[in-house]
Amino acid sequence: MQLTNEEQRILDGGGGEPQRLALQVLVKLGEACGAERMVEIASAHLVASSYQIAGEAGIAIYTQLVEQGARVMVRTTSDPGSIDFARWREFKTPEEYAARQVKIAELLDRMGVIPTWTCTPYTTFNVPHFGEHLGWSESSAVVFANSVIGARTNRLAAYVDLCAALTGRVPCFGLHLDEGRRGDVLFELEAELSADFAEHYFPALGYLVGQVVKDRIPVILGIRRATLDQLKAFGAASAASGSVALYHMVGITPEARTVEEAFGGRIPTERTPVGRREIDAVMEQMGASEGPVDVVGIGCPHASIDQMGRYAALLEGKRVHPNTRLWICTNVVVEAMARKMGYVETIERAGATLMVGTCHNDCPLEAWGFRRLATDSGKFAYYTPTTVGTECVFASTEACIRAAITGRVERR
Amino acid sequence: MSPGQVRFQGRGCAAGTFEGELVLSNQPFGFWQGMDPQTGTVIDKRHDACGLSIKRKAFVFPFGRGSTGTPGIFLEAVRNGCAPGAIVNVKSEPMIIMCALLAEAFFKVAIPIVDRVAGDLSQHLKTGDRVRIDGTTGVIEVIGRG
Repeated sequence: MQLTNEEQRILDGGGGEPQRLALQVLVKLGEACGAERMVEIASAHLVASSYQIAGEAGIAIYTQLVEQGARVMVRTTSDPGSIDFARWREFKTPEEYAARQVKIAELLDRMGVIPTWTCTPYTTFNVPHFGEHLGWSESSAVVFANSVIGARTNRLAAYVDLCAALTGRVPCFGLHLDEGRRGDVLFELEAELSADFAEHYFPALGYLVGQVVKDRIPVILGIRRATLDQLKAFGAASAASGSVALYHMVGITPEARTVEEAFGGRIPTERTPVGRREIDAVMEQMGASEGPVDVVGIGCPHASIDQMGRYAALLEGKRVHPNTRLWICTNVVVEAMARKMGYVETIERAGATLMVGTCHNDCPLEAWGFRRLATDSGKFAYYTPTTVGTECVFASTEACIRAAITGRVERR
Repeated sequence: MSPGQVRFQGRGCAAGTFEGELVLSNQPFGFWQGMDPQTGTVIDKRHDACGLSIKRKAFVFPFGRGSTGTPGIFLEAVRNGCAPGAIVNVKSEPMIIMCALLAEAFFKVAIPIVDRVAGDLSQHLKTGDRVRIDGTTGVIEVIGRG
């Protein structure tokens, strides 16, 4: 790899031990992945901020780095933690567990990380612009930044994201290069589906696409309009069921004004038609049982202010069923605004609970003994059976909130 | 062929040497939700190696299904001395390479990784065989049959 004088200085220890160690990891990664040089980044986003992911190994690493004086060199935000810092007792989080998460918070704080505790840093203080290079992890944030914004980041792993933050650099390969951003597989919506594309089809289609493409780049043709929240839901599902880090939606996302542009002039090697049948089949796979539900999870990825407004409208004057919990996940910034706008009051009056800075999949929930979880999220649908250990039902946002009110999930 | 003559050439992705038993799987594997970091046992019920211990063994699987949280579990296993001793893939994704680089940087544990091996490994190897792996040269040698 071609290194700059500054990078050589850091590797020689001129920037201190944390920087030397961090750059060494990044250079070796670059060598293994065919990078010719490093690229400077505008920001980093850290996924090993949660105790569930970091564990004691993470605490050991962070402690060592802090003792050596580590400081982040670029704007750096944190992914959700494994507790709601304000409400962990309410969620029956064991005290010792909460204490370990608080320890991680202190260590990240000392390195200068902005404690956003969210998988949607772009709704807080980490908003990239088109073409900017980033060092992000968190699969749903990576796919959003690459696809919806047109910023450039590979799917970094836990701790490698911190190496990027400590040096302000990443190895330049994959999605940092034009040729690494071209589409591989074309998904073409059938006319009928394209004309009548329900909101909850976004996560369902994402789930389907991820399963097919794995880590390749899908191009979707036939979506006529999409909100940021719908694009967020699609991407998160595709990044969970596959490892999609970038998708193009023709006419919607910035690097896909046309099919030709999305494929960078290449001819698509695969064309996959998608109709109602395929969408129905994948929704079946995501969980389609009906009946009593003891917990409902919405706000994955973390809810935006628009979504909070919608949840409040759906819950206005209603009451969550006594046998069912409705937990709405979001971040502290959206929470503050939703409170100001009266949404939180409406949501809480209905008996729902905000789960701030964490989510059902990041928190230890064994104490609850849940059996069936309903969600409108493709990412939750993918992970819930292993993380929460419950059966999962995937349904629209409206159906999920209705399930919370009646205590039973009916998919229609 | 006697064990000593069975030799495969791959690409070295992460440095280090290994000598010991191997566990062969024909399915993609994700360490996140796939391995118990306290014991080194495969816990993914959908996986063909479920129930087997990969602690200090060479784990051979086609490619990783990597959540970005993968090193969380992987390094926890390294810290507990329960991580695999080497990894061999058809194609090693950056996520798995990052795990080895981090293990070396933060815990001074070298876990060699080799990928793109010429020839079909599952034809020639089986769980329990003993191998020698060099993560720099990319050479895998069978040194004993299980």
